[in-house]
Amino acid sequence: MKRLETVLYHFSRLLLGGLFLYAGLIKGNDVTAFARSVANYQLLPYSWNYLVAATLPAVEAIAGLLLVVNCRVRPAAVVLGALNLVFMVALVSVILRGLDIDCGCFNPDATSKTSPQLALLRDAGIMLLVVLSYWLRGRRPA
Amino acid sequence: MNGELRRILLEAAVILALGVVVGLSFNYRLVLDVFGGRLTAPAPVTADATVDLYPVPVDLQRLQTLLGQGALLIDARAVELYAEGHLQGARSLPMGDWVNQLADFRAAVPLQTTLILYCSGYGCPDSFDLGVELLKNGYQDVQVFEGGFPEWRDAGLPVDKGAP
Repeated sequence: MKRLETVLYHFSRLLLGGLFLYAGLIKGNDVTAFARSVANYQLLPYSWNYLVAATLPAVEAIAGLLLVVNCRVRPAAVVLGALNLVFMVALVSVILRGLDIDCGCFNPDATSKTSPQLALLRDAGIMLLVVLSYWLRGRRPA
Repeated sequence: MNGELRRILLEAAVILALGVVVGLSFNYRLVLDVFGGRLTAPAPVTADATVDLYPVPVDLQRLQTLLGQGALLIDARAVELYAEGHLQGARSLPMGDWVNQLADFRAAVPLQTTLILYCSGYGCPDSFDLGVELLKNGYQDVQVFEGGFPEWRDAGLPVDKGAP
């Protein structure tokens, strides 16, 4: 049982960390394109889309990196969990308003589109990884 | 346990703050440009193609001010859409054909002109992409009205029809 927990813990944190490290780097690489994706949500005042686009990728990448290197796992999981919660609320609002947009979750220049519904489902999976990483880290010796 | 939770939340806040600082230090120029509604650095007239310049976004209110100051509207959509209806006074320069039209465009529009590009609203990248190309080709003041044709029309502002 202990062994299974260990495997599950490392699997969760590596997958979660790798995912956000990748997402952060690819979005940080083209901030203006990502700002367009944020603007598509039509949630923020005009200039704030750029402020979010300038800072969010770095937060994602740093928290993701911490998870990958197994350092400060619980705080990093809290950050990513909070971000993921905000993403989910934003996606729900997009679905409720009937906007037809790409989620902009990863590559802002992607040619294929990820629907808000699919992105929401994916975020639910990510939330599970957050919970697993946080909870299993708490059960391991410090 | 309470102390442990407080430590985790504190460290989470530090991670968040660190990310914001790192993000801003990489992109402070873009953020300053956007919040100032302008290009901060006076566009260097240089042949250095490695310098990345980006068009500055403007909202409808700022757009109207700039138009009052002699800015030129550029419609980056396809000619067919331009003919169906465009912002009054806009000149057509479709993203799909700008390479062929650039010489004529440059002959007619001085490089110092303030250009405001638009296309079909949020989610349409053409005006931004065309803006990047115009900056590379010597235009110094290029801005993008991201609300585009839909926002202008929905605000009840004058729309013209007809081919360029």
